Amino acid sequence: EVSDHQFFLKYQVDMVIVPATTGQMGVLPGHVSTIAELKPGVLSVHEGNDITKYFVSSGFAFVHANSIADIVAVEAVPLDQIDPAAVQQGLAEFNAKLGSASTELEKAEAQIGVDVHSALNAALAG
Amino acid sequence: MAMAALRREGRRVLLSSTPSPAAAMAARSPAAAHQEIAPLGARSVSTQVVRTRMKSVRNIQKITKAMKMVAASKLRAVQIRTENSRGLWQPFTALLGDVPSVDVKKNVIVAITSDKGLCGGINSTSVKVSKALHKLTSGPEKESKYVILGEKGKVQLIRDSKDNIEMTVSELQKNPINYTQIAVLADDILKNVEYDALRVVFNKFHSVISFKPTMTTILSPEVMEKESESGKVGDLDSYEIEGGETKSEILQNLTEFQFSCVMYNAALENACSELGARMSAMDSSSRNAGEMLDRLTLTYNRTRQASITTELIEIISGASALEG
Repeated sequence: EVSDHQFFLKYQVDMVIVPATTGQMGVLPGHVSTIAELKPGVLSVHEGNDITKYFVSSGFAFVHANSIADIVAVEAVPLDQIDPAAVQQGLAEFNAKLGSASTELEKAEAQIGVDVHSALNAALAG
Repeated sequence: MAMAALRREGRRVLLSSTPSPAAAMAARSPAAAHQEIAPLGARSVSTQVVRTRMKSVRNIQKITKAMKMVAASKLRAVQIRTENSRGLWQPFTALLGDVPSVDVKKNVIVAITSDKGLCGGINSTSVKVSKALHKLTSGPEKESKYVILGEKGKVQLIRDSKDNIEMTVSELQKNPINYTQIAVLADDILKNVEYDALRVVFNKFHSVISFKPTMTTILSPEVMEKESESGKVGDLDSYEIEGGETKSEILQNLTEFQFSCVMYNAALENACSELGARMSAMDSSSRNAGEMLDRLTLTYNRTRQASITTELIEIISGASALEG
């Protein structure tokens, strides 16, 4: 599993692409102010030619009118720290759980697990 | 050598010559001897009591020193987490603002305290602020309830505000505080209490010796919408909203997430203040114990010296009487 840690970065960048629930959203300076809910996916931070990619589990992104964007995520992990084998294993586990789930709650929990792991998988593949 | 033998001999004679059983008791038990009922004919004050006292003070000092060290080592780890967690609520405050003055019907005061004592005044400040807040927010047609985290706050508030306590949670700090645990707790609170505004009271960590009682206000989605229209909180209408079907739906997600983030930070801040306060409390206790020990040692040595001197004088004068 992905390690549980929160961190807080504050620096100036050229562009961020956030995984909003409505689709990937690129934020450049001067972007219209927005509140966006995030889904599990890749957050990429562009700084000149450097691109840093993080996997975020969920959260919110606020883009303010003064060209400041706040991104709050429960978990954000650099992509290169994620172990592909563990992701595959997790995906298989949750798929099995989804198959055997009997109650609505179990089903929902398993579905979330599957969603997160498939997003992780897609992020690693992409 | 001869002197020591003499002294031993002298004492034995003294004890065996005590006529009443009460006096014999007094010689044996330090508590009674403390009342200065020395055995009949005793020449010097017993040092037994002082020695016992010194031993217990030294033990207490050992304990307080150890507690201080434990708090100090724990503090370092928690402090880093606390400072990092401040990044979680800052975006929310930037977006929504914090409106402590908002006037709503159903107030819920979430008082964060510690489970353990011996940490200075952090719990009483939390309780004091919560009580003041309760007074401020209650009135006709309004209600104000408590949600208490931590054993110590519960003990203090249950005395006079028993009817207003909605729920209590303790043993928050059995494991190191993590987000998952707090999110579950926040969810539990949101499900079980009705609120228009949640007011989280905690001690914000400034430094090892300083912490400030702090309050963060979180509004319910409905109130948030109303207040943002009247312009008291951040202007939500100027923001485009992505995701979620309706505005109220996303506002609900937003406020709930805000609550969990604020709670996470508040719990960490309070834990950090607790350790800091315990460190300084234990430091001053160790210092006090040290001072007391010094005073006792002085008394003990003085008494011992006095009795030795008396005995010497007796021997010498006895010897000179024989010679003369």
